[in-house]
Amino acid sequence: MKRHTHVALLATLMSATAWGQEVSLYGTTMAQMWKQETPGFEKATFTPATQYLGIDATRLGSDRLSLHLFGWGRTDLADVSTFDGSKSGGHLNYGYLQYRFDQANAEIKAGRITVNQATGFEQIDGVSVRTDLRGGFTVSAFGGKPVLYKTVDPASQKDYDFQRDFIVGTRLGWRMPKLGEIGLSYLQDGTKSAKELPVPTPVDYTRKQVAADLLLAPGTVFQLRGRTIFDVADHAATAPGIAKPSTIAEHDYTAIVKFGSKVTVTANVAERNFYAYFAGTNLPSLFRQDEKDQFKGFGGSLTVSATGNLMVIADYRRMNRESFGEVNRFGGELRYASTEKHYMAGLGLRSVSASKSIRVDPASPGRSLSHTELRAWSMIERNRLSFSLDGIIQQYKDGNPYLNGLTSLYEVVASLGFQATTSLKLSGDISRGSTPIAKDETRGLLRAEYRFGFGKKGGQ
Amino acid sequence: MTRKSVLQLLGVLLGLGVLMACSLISPETSFAATHPDGVGKGRPMCSECHSTDVAKGALKPYASFDHTPTFVTNHKYQANQDANSCATCHAQSFCVDCHGGKVPMKPAIKLSGSPDRLAPHRGDYLTLHRMEGKMDPSSCYTCHGRANNDKCRACHR
Repeated sequence: MKRHTHVALLATLMSATAWGQEVSLYGTTMAQMWKQETPGFEKATFTPATQYLGIDATRLGSDRLSLHLFGWGRTDLADVSTFDGSKSGGHLNYGYLQYRFDQANAEIKAGRITVNQATGFEQIDGVSVRTDLRGGFTVSAFGGKPVLYKTVDPASQKDYDFQRDFIVGTRLGWRMPKLGEIGLSYLQDGTKSAKELPVPTPVDYTRKQVAADLLLAPGTVFQLRGRTIFDVADHAATAPGIAKPSTIAEHDYTAIVKFGSKVTVTANVAERNFYAYFAGTNLPSLFRQDEKDQFKGFGGSLTVSATGNLMVIADYRRMNRESFGEVNRFGGELRYASTEKHYMAGLGLRSVSASKSIRVDPASPGRSLSHTELRAWSMIERNRLSFSLDGIIQQYKDGNPYLNGLTSLYEVVASLGFQATTSLKLSGDISRGSTPIAKDETRGLLRAEYRFGFGKKGGQ
Repeated sequence: MTRKSVLQLLGVLLGLGVLMACSLISPETSFAATHPDGVGKGRPMCSECHSTDVAKGALKPYASFDHTPTFVTNHKYQANQDANSCATCHAQSFCVDCHGGKVPMKPAIKLSGSPDRLAPHRGDYLTLHRMEGKMDPSSCYTCHGRANNDKCRACHR
């Protein structure tokens, strides 16, 4: 969509708020500041200012019609802080009209929307609809132009815009009370696959996926959720002697068992085949489809609500990437919240053991990926004041090639807030840390959050 | 848009029209647009107040929506199947904190005053991502595969 079309559409949507009988406007203004001194580079001072702004206008002539807008803009008041060299920028995250029916949870959305139906989690300029049907069935569908983001090299990736011309998805589900839900979905992103291009390419920006999802929840004690996604695109033939890539993009299943109200045990198993899973990426240099790589993982967690205020969590996960080998991740967390949630605190430890990884550093395989992370935080609210402290330390093995000779990195963030009125909160952060790029780093941040109007949701 | 795409769209719309014409729409009333009571701070456990009966419309136990640590890290199914349930308490802007398509800063900075919330990439994640990315790039792909990768492109060219 061209820029002037965007402006016209946005102006039309904005003017619609005048019809709203309940309009809420909310936003956050943030100003950050940090200085950088890096050997070999000029000193730099960064002061980016960022504005988030959202509008929810409901009862637009009808109780069921509403308008929702949200976007942000930013600018650098001193040196450029972005990687691409742009001094300012912005984005309309969503802007849509929504009509909610009184019956069947039916709704229609039109405009710039984020859809998470079928297998997709997409931003589109288009339409989405959903409704419940008799007998526990439910159906949803969406279609439109995908919101496209920059590619690494527009010249060599001109096919990206060309191929991803249209996106459509639909899901049919069947809900069985006190038993669960099954669903079948289809997603097609783009209409011109790589093999159909005048000059076929190894990267296919289109996707055609069929998925089956499952929920078994016969009661509050046991739950099994998951999905399997199949790649049903008709790809170009592989070279002789090379195995055809799997048509399974993803298996991902999680089981949850609750023992009373205090103890919860979860188990998860996942598998992803990158050729199919990475289809449609705008960053093929990173999410490479030409690698017939695969990820498999399984693990679980134990959560114990020791008292009404204290929660203990322990988890473990074994992950295996075909090209890098196996790693084990394990950890635990303590969370405390006072009854009125005026005081909360947490302490967490995570560790990754990569002694069986293979590719990163053949001389010492475990050295490059293994690390341990310790995090502690607390937050207090007293009347109009709030204070939080959040510290994190990451400990790496000696000689890790990514750390410029360091072995531990840290960051501490202290935040002080003042609720000036029910509509306005002012806060400020100061953070101090150490990274391989800046061995000592201090940053400041000022934040103003405000909300005007009648809306009851948002920020919640 | 190609003729094939137009036909696909028309097919979907026609299919929905037929479903409506056949009176297959559920007669049940919709979810409440907003939760009638405030749910307070922190992560709510829906089953603490609601009985063991199933949630209206979603036809699932309320416990399915309890904001446990597992739910917070893995809520894609609930959001996919029961977005209306989410919308009774959450405005869309809540989702955008992390799932914005294009955002100006990582969630951990935007939400730095709320350390209780799950905010990805706390601390020096620029260093850590070199390890996480090697262990499981599919976990990066979910958010950065087709969007939110302006910073990724600076190095991954």
